[in-house]
Amino acid sequence: MSIRRNLVSLIAGALPIMAALFLWYAVCALKLAPASLLPSPVTVFTRLIALAGDTNFLTQAGITLFRLFVGFAIAVVLGVSIGILAAGSRAVATLMQPVVRVLAPVPKIALYPAFVLVLGFDHSSKIALVVADALFPILLATYQGAAAVEPKLVWSARAAGASPAKCLFTIVLTAALPSILTGARIGLIIACIVVFLAEMITSTDGLGQMLVRAARNFQTVDMFEPIITITLLGLLLNAAFNVLSARLLVGFAEQP
Amino acid sequence: MARVNAIPGLSALIACVALLLIWDGLSRAFAVSGLPPPWGPLRELPNLLTEPETLVNILASLRRMAIGFVVAIAFAVPIGLMMGRSRAVAAFFNPLFMVIYPVPKAALMPLIMLWIGIGDMAKVLVIFLGVSLPVVYHSFQGARSVEEKMLWSAAAMGLSASQRLRRIVLPAALPEIMVGCRTGVVLALITMVTSEMIARQSGVGNIFFTALDMGQYDTVYAMIIIIGALGFFCDVGFEAVRRVLVAWAEPSHQIAVGSA
Amino acid sequence: MNGGTVLPLVGRPDRIQRVATNLIEIAAVSKVYDTSQRGRHVALSEISFDVAEGQFVSILGPSGCGKSTLLYIVGGFVDATSGSVRVSGAPVTGPGPDRGPVFQEFALFPWKTVLGNVMYGPLQQGLSRTQAATRARELLGLVHLTKYESFYPKELSGGMKQRVALARTLAYQPKILLMDEPFGALDALTRKHLQNELLEIWERDRKTVMFVTHSVEEAVFLSDRIFVMTNSPGRIRKVFDVALPRPRVRAELLVDRRYQEMVVAIEKLMDEQEPELS
Ligand SMILES: Nc1ncnc2c1ncn2[C@@H]1O[C@H](COP(=O)(O)OP(=O)(O)OP(=O)(O)O)[C@@H](O)[C@H]1O
Ligand SMILES: [Mg+2]
Repeated sequence: MSIRRNLVSLIAGALPIMAALFLWYAVCALKLAPASLLPSPVTVFTRLIALAGDTNFLTQAGITLFRLFVGFAIAVVLGVSIGILAAGSRAVATLMQPVVRVLAPVPKIALYPAFVLVLGFDHSSKIALVVADALFPILLATYQGAAAVEPKLVWSARAAGASPAKCLFTIVLTAALPSILTGARIGLIIACIVVFLAEMITSTDGLGQMLVRAARNFQTVDMFEPIITITLLGLLLNAAFNVLSARLLVGFAEQP
Repeated sequence: MARVNAIPGLSALIACVALLLIWDGLSRAFAVSGLPPPWGPLRELPNLLTEPETLVNILASLRRMAIGFVVAIAFAVPIGLMMGRSRAVAAFFNPLFMVIYPVPKAALMPLIMLWIGIGDMAKVLVIFLGVSLPVVYHSFQGARSVEEKMLWSAAAMGLSASQRLRRIVLPAALPEIMVGCRTGVVLALITMVTSEMIARQSGVGNIFFTALDMGQYDTVYAMIIIIGALGFFCDVGFEAVRRVLVAWAEPSHQIAVGSA
Repeated sequence: MNGGTVLPLVGRPDRIQRVATNLIEIAAVSKVYDTSQRGRHVALSEISFDVAEGQFVSILGPSGCGKSTLLYIVGGFVDATSGSVRVSGAPVTGPGPDRGPVFQEFALFPWKTVLGNVMYGPLQQGLSRTQAATRARELLGLVHLTKYESFYPKELSGGMKQRVALARTLAYQPKILLMDEPFGALDALTRKHLQNELLEIWERDRKTVMFVTHSVEEAVFLSDRIFVMTNSPGRIRKVFDVALPRPRVRAELLVDRRYQEMVVAIEKLMDEQEPELS
């Protein structure tokens, strides 16, 4: 019953994706659009496979991944510690809340020119943008999750002899893990997107710059490759994150 | 704390002043020409906002943003609601949206400009793409959590499927939809700025780089303040609208989803 | 001691004579909640009583009368607005391993296995992992859960969860057990089983227990002494000394007149219109 339903929904879900790909193929095959504007999916995916062995392409992807991971890691460390501290201390929460209220809806991309001016065109300005963008979902999720932790869980640990600080960084942190991971996954995808955009804006290197260079040279096929690559990376990271979450969250109730 | 909260906006104002002071401190600490103290950009604000060319650029950007946003809402809310109420529709759309989710929408700018030219259409389309997904997601969540029994009694009263969607599901999902709209409006701004920074044709994003290239750092930072303020006030405005429309509900999903 | 708010005292039955070996001394404890919407709410007003070492006392009262609040104050989880609580002569300033709570909601750590949950306390006390595991297994044997040590809490039934919670608390050897409707979320049969088990465990080392419940039978079956509370503000209305012999066996008690009379007397008192306290 459930297997059949899963199979049916799998087919239903594959339909629109297949249809879009087929439409793309048909438009090209029927020459409704010039190949210089819309290359056929066959060309695009053959080229992608060829690129998978291309050193330059892999180097550029590596640069993008490096910035993505460093920025994301910093955002996780900052977001989780500030969020947990704010949940544990009223003073920190009072300080943090108005600042976050003002900064969270600010388009961080607008800060990018400032990052470039201060940190230069290299890694650090892009990493700074990733941190600024990924930080808030993680921080807010951590704070909300930690603030919603059942106090009796903390009391049980306190009565057993754990100090308040120890409770905060063991019990509260772990109990808030489902929420933290939700925020971190959102932050990860945002980091993925933002690092690419930053590379497009100051096109020095990385996958984003490959897209801009291809656009300048009107190499339409090469414009598709970085976009598809970063999307696949996002999907892959998302899937990996889900596997990691499932491992970390044994014992917790199923997440919706 | 209680007294600070008594006057609306006071704590935000204090936070802004604090941020400016931190900025001032940082600029002293770094002492580079790229990071001037905030007072110059603040003085630059009135000049910038009375200069007709800048104003026209900003207004044109806001107009595109508004169009993209409204079209996205009109498209995304019905889809989200239908997904929430029908397993089949959800199964149909979910994987598609999951694949589209990590696509950097603003990065499609060069391709879209190639296809439909560098006019307003391209920019509106990108904003539309950027806003749609979170609104679909929140409408979906909202419609999915509508009380089943409410729908049963509506069906018993003889409401047709489309009537139920409009009269029961839509209002019941409104709190969540409003959360989606609030996320969406900020995303519209983000997508707008990003795509203009990438396209460098006109608009707000372009002013940045013109100023940057000419070394007018005060203008760059003044633009940052303007866009930051726009983001903040869009958010506050939508929060106010949400409070009025759905005063009875507390949103369940509060973390913004998505990016340009 | 009166902490500012003087409330008229009508026939206070809560002045209990001091016994020499009082482990818990509750003196004029009041609790006022400041809620932004409803203003000040007096949850507890001038509660005073002592609990002797090794005594099993129960607290009965209508919902919302402040039973949990009182227990939390003794536990050090919540601060009293005025008054003081002393345990072993020292004032309570926060939670400590001399007072072990057991909650209605179990409050087990969902990310730890049954064994991990029970080991938590001993590890906090500085025991090595092997020592802690040995002690935890001992206690799991006591609550008949030896086979379930590698299960996660979500894989257990309510009764099993509460057994784990009890074992987790007993594992750090508190002098006092603070039990807040520990069997409130369980079905009638499981509840009886656990009552029997609790008494069995209690008979072994006679810990001091403060036990909050809504069930009169449960209170009479378990306790040496029962405090019945009044509703808002919460005060002690009447104290019952349960002079039933121990060890108690349910089948014998049920036909015991003294048991029946005490249950009826308390039920009657709780059914009565509460005397108006202005
Ligand atoms: N954190 C709080 N903030 C405000 N009021 C509270 C808080 N906790 C409890 N109260 C109020 O204090 C009173 C006593 O609550 P308490 O939980 O101690 O009652 P109780 O006797 O344990 O009730 P029950 O039998 O239903 O568990 C109630 O009126 C409750 O509304
Ligand atoms: Mg209670």
